[in-house]
Amino acid sequence: MHSSISLNISNLWIERGERYLCKDMSFSLSGGDICKINGENGAGKSTLLKIIVGILSPLEGTVYYNGEDVSIHRDLLHQDVLYLGHNSAIKSVFSVAENLRWYFPNASDEAIAYALSVVSLSGYEETPSSQLSAGQKRRITLARLWLTDKPLWLLDEPFTALDVQGVSSLEKRMRDHISNGGLIILTTHQDIDASLNVKEINLTL
Amino acid sequence: MTYFSFTKGELLTLLRRKQDTMNALIFFLMVVILFPLGVSPSPEFLSVAAGGIIWCAASLAILMSVEGMFKEDFNDGCLEQWLVSGLSLPVLILLKVSIHWLIVIVPLLIMAPILAQMLFLPMDIFYVLLQTLILGTPALFLIGTIGSALTVSLRHGAVLMLLIIIPFYLPVIIFSTGAIRAAQSGMLYDGQIAILAAISLASLVVSPIMSAISIKASVS
Amino acid sequence: MSWTWFHKLGSPKWFFQFASRWSLGVFLSGVVLLLIGLVWGLAFAPEDYQQGNSFRIIYIHVPAAILAQSCYLGLGVAGFVFLVWQMKMAPIFIKSVAPLGALVALIALVSGAIWGKPTWGTWWVWDARLTSVLVLFLLYMGVIAIQNSLEDKILADKAVAVIGVVGLINLPIIKYSVEWWNTLHQPATFKLTEKPAMPMEMWLPLLISSLGLYLFIAGLAMLRMQTEVLNRERRSSWVKEEVLKNGI
Repeated sequence: MHSSISLNISNLWIERGERYLCKDMSFSLSGGDICKINGENGAGKSTLLKIIVGILSPLEGTVYYNGEDVSIHRDLLHQDVLYLGHNSAIKSVFSVAENLRWYFPNASDEAIAYALSVVSLSGYEETPSSQLSAGQKRRITLARLWLTDKPLWLLDEPFTALDVQGVSSLEKRMRDHISNGGLIILTTHQDIDASLNVKEINLTL
Repeated sequence: MTYFSFTKGELLTLLRRKQDTMNALIFFLMVVILFPLGVSPSPEFLSVAAGGIIWCAASLAILMSVEGMFKEDFNDGCLEQWLVSGLSLPVLILLKVSIHWLIVIVPLLIMAPILAQMLFLPMDIFYVLLQTLILGTPALFLIGTIGSALTVSLRHGAVLMLLIIIPFYLPVIIFSTGAIRAAQSGMLYDGQIAILAAISLASLVVSPIMSAISIKASVS
Repeated sequence: MSWTWFHKLGSPKWFFQFASRWSLGVFLSGVVLLLIGLVWGLAFAPEDYQQGNSFRIIYIHVPAAILAQSCYLGLGVAGFVFLVWQMKMAPIFIKSVAPLGALVALIALVSGAIWGKPTWGTWWVWDARLTSVLVLFLLYMGVIAIQNSLEDKILADKAVAVIGVVGLINLPIIKYSVEWWNTLHQPATFKLTEKPAMPMEMWLPLLISSLGLYLFIAGLAMLRMQTEVLNRERRSSWVKEEVLKNGI
């Protein structure tokens, strides 16, 4: 069970190139929420995720994590966050298991084997990642969700590259996570299981 | 991610990508060979010029090996993961440069005595060359890191990086070759060695911070 | 002391209004002073007893060399200000001043070479000061190159600031190392500075032309910065008003 966490976005202005992706946006989330960011391609879904995680800076506005301004106390957020971005962040020189060990040096062999089995990569532990397809690399990244104990998840299109069974096990994993007090923000084109009680944020072009 | 797993990963990457390091070293060797062929093979010229030749070649080889240091991490999205890992970015960068330095400098030092023989560098001067290489090359790596971090988002950033970084290499080259020349004429060279160490230490402070700023700006 | 001026300086709007009042005046007074200094120096100042008339290029060479260093100093300070306080005007300053700095460094180099021909008998000697101006010129080229190469403007601003700061730290080291290297190479060939102190009639036009070049460059920099401000702030309401009211 995670201690209660909260994320407040206040008066956020985001700009890209010559145009505003959002104007004066505010919303609050806390442990137990799933938040889905909606918007067309290019509406700035990934940009919003990057701003929340502190990789990008907004034009105006503040992100508060547990009441602290993230632009000042970035460490507090980063201790608690698992961010899966658009890129897989998989090293092609490492084997599949080594990639996961890079992120979770203390994970047991069983835990890694289990995580890989969920994303249907069983038996690939020792395979060099360079031999895998883009979809398979993506699934190694997703396997991190079964190894992590971070309370805040920021996921950029987690369902791509998954088959039907994979989607349902990811949904189950997300359900477990929020029932433990975790918080998930994700972008996806896919409809999510209605029983998850998703909050939606809309970005319009 | 922890500092330890990060270090281990970097080490593993470099060991599996031996060819990249090899290329830099072969390049080093080739530049050294150019001088006797292009200028003069006479022992009188070479034994005087050897220190300068080896230093110029080493600088170019180091620039080459540092240039692509963050490129793959940038392309595969790992730099983003460094940023959100909760670890200190300057420390991660420092670890990465240190490993690169170790991996390049050790074979370079092994090659140095052979090259010194080929360039007719006397043995006592060779020890001075070794000292300057050990104390001066950290500065070259650290300064080069800043350039590498600045140009990481560019597809063809190599030439631009050379353009920016080479002026900053001048003091290191001047004092290293100065120490060698002083030793050759029988003068004391402790001063130059001390300055080299000072430049390396100063780079140690400035470079990780500046590189971190550059990487943060490049990722966004 | 009140720091309001410092904060005002960071506001593009305030700077634009300040500069539109002053830039032309500064530029023109620079032109006038420069002309006075040059005409006085080139035509009326007494001949040098050693070098004859060829020394007169000092009235171009020395101001240019001073300016080349001052511009880089300004660039480095602006870079520091930008990295620490994120002041919006700092990258605009760097972007506007870097080409001017490169230009004066080039003038210093060329005039140095022209001066070198009659004095030393060659166009180029590896003189410590000439060499450090050459390095300075290369540093400027680096700043300009990275500014132009990076498509992402925010990244480009950060990058030139980083280069500026690193250069600021490095410049004394480079200068010192080049001087030290040179004395090791060729001790005291022919020192121009070891004449008895310059007489007033020679020294005053030099001062005037240096001041003139300072103002000239400052005026040019302000004009360039105004353009850059308009370009960067083109979507804000005050720029629209400004352009509608006063034209471009």
